[in-house]
Amino acid sequence: MKTYEIIDHTADIGIKAYGETIEEAFENVAKGMFDIITDNSHIDSIGEYMIELEADDLEQLLVDWLSELLFLSSTYNLVFGFFDVKIGDKKLSAIVRGEEYNLDKHKMGVEIKAVTYHMLEVHTTKPIYVQVLFDI
Amino acid sequence: MTWNGPLNKIDDFRYEIPSSYRGVKNNLHMKTSAIIYATEDMIPQIRKDNAPEQTANMATLPGIVGKAMAMPDIHWGYGFPIGGVAATDAEEGVISPGGVGFDINCGVRLVRTNLHINDLDKKKIHSLVDELFRNVPSGVGSKAKIKVSSQELDEVLVSGARWAVEHGYGWKEDTEFLEENGCLDYADPSTVSIKAKQRGAPQIGSLGAGNHFLEIQKVEEIFDREVAKVFGIEDIGQIVVMIHTGSRGLGHQVCSDHLQVLERAVRKYNIWLPDRQLACAPVKSSEGERYFKAMACAANFAWCNRQMIVHWVRESFEKVLNTPAEDLGMHIVYDVCHNIAKLEEHEINGRKRNVYVHRKGATRAFGPGRSEIPMKYRDVGQPVLIPGDMGTESYLLHGTRESEETFGSTCHGAGRVMSRAEALRHFRGQTIVEQLGGKGIYVHPASLKVAAEEAPDAYKNIRSVVDAVHGAGISRKVARFVPLGVVKG
Repeated sequence: MKTYEIIDHTADIGIKAYGETIEEAFENVAKGMFDIITDNSHIDSIGEYMIELEADDLEQLLVDWLSELLFLSSTYNLVFGFFDVKIGDKKLSAIVRGEEYNLDKHKMGVEIKAVTYHMLEVHTTKPIYVQVLFDI
Repeated sequence: MTWNGPLNKIDDFRYEIPSSYRGVKNNLHMKTSAIIYATEDMIPQIRKDNAPEQTANMATLPGIVGKAMAMPDIHWGYGFPIGGVAATDAEEGVISPGGVGFDINCGVRLVRTNLHINDLDKKKIHSLVDELFRNVPSGVGSKAKIKVSSQELDEVLVSGARWAVEHGYGWKEDTEFLEENGCLDYADPSTVSIKAKQRGAPQIGSLGAGNHFLEIQKVEEIFDREVAKVFGIEDIGQIVVMIHTGSRGLGHQVCSDHLQVLERAVRKYNIWLPDRQLACAPVKSSEGERYFKAMACAANFAWCNRQMIVHWVRESFEKVLNTPAEDLGMHIVYDVCHNIAKLEEHEINGRKRNVYVHRKGATRAFGPGRSEIPMKYRDVGQPVLIPGDMGTESYLLHGTRESEETFGSTCHGAGRVMSRAEALRHFRGQTIVEQLGGKGIYVHPASLKVAAEEAPDAYKNIRSVVDAVHGAGISRKVARFVPLGVVKG
């Protein structure tokens, strides 16, 4: 099964990510985001972060989840390739693994500025998917 | 998709979406009409995405003053279209991050030199570009060469370009030739989240990626010799340097943080909006005021950023040409921001009023006489800098009195017509670099992929954009530059 697809947009770029569960869709959209940032480079699991988030609804939780990863990436020069997400009652807890971004090892993809609310979608019944557009 | 709404031709350069377009008696009706500045041949392209609908959306904002407007480089954006200009009342209006953009104070700076193309051979140009590439951090996640403490970062957010000059990055005269002298004085670092500061600190003094660039250019054409001379542009073939970058991760995070707050404010203040990304708050509300102060911090960060880059540009020229930058006459011509909201005084229906002017992908273009313009330029109007896309051409314009109809605003650049993925399907990075090389333009991209994504044909023709604002009279052409060397993030 396809894990995600890229949404082509004139000025920007988006992802529609699928999953058997909503957790899996959240994991796949994160994977897709780092594929965009590193141009599909392999990312080793060298370090680990725990992420805990709470939001008013699943859409906001999706924006917060990706924004948090973007913040960690942009501030500490990290990229992530492994995601284990648990979602319950508008709360998300996740373990993410990755490593320092290194131009000798990783390719240079696109710099993502922010996660936007445009075309934002969380579909919790089959087919389960999440959709998001980034400002780049 | 195609937008099929009404676009009534007013004259050769102005098209109107009438205020009746959304009906008259509902919560989302247009409070004023919308004007798109464009020539007839540009209209089919403009109708290709939903940007005209977004221009109509701007006209629904509470407290909008005058018309909702879009410049000829209009294309789809989050909330406002890119190229959108709207003013809201300083008492009753709203302020919206969607009217500024994620890259707060993305802007352009132009540095002149005494050098002439005859002074530089191909080898020297290559050396200059390679030295700039080494000296100015660029590319995805590009990091600062210097470390600032959290206290120093707060100082940057308060004093902008001045901080850089005081710390040895630049000349004392530099800040005189920046929009707002490189500092918005209502900045308050307590409104900027710790996250935004953490994200910004390691990126200070970096070019970034995407459409941002650093170019060595030569003057190719002078349209108005008198005004050009006032701006320090004297000869065809004269060498100049153009810098295009913004507030990096700090500005993006400020926008994201405050969008979330304003999303809730929309419900709290019972504001009706046709698009979630137009989230806004009354200018006098704590949410609105806090965004405005945080936005000013990000703007100051961007001015400091461009100031440090200018310093390294001068350093690079000094090293390669073995001549002091002062002797090379490397003065700043001007610095403009094209993603910003500002409290300004404008004459509306014969009455002076204070308004918040949102310029999103639009450049301030004040006409002669305004006190905001440096004394040296005040008789001819503000210099306006319009960057082209990689390897085409860029423009120097000047502001006019006629630009009062756009609250002293004009276009900002070319604007994409092709998505990055589409560009990658159409172009190969290596071919683009070679083709530009054949035209005498040396490109040093951070990656070949970015060269393909930023291929000249992925953008609107800058010449038609500039001709449209020139024709409309909201700014006038002074000079045209072509690149010789490009550092691409």
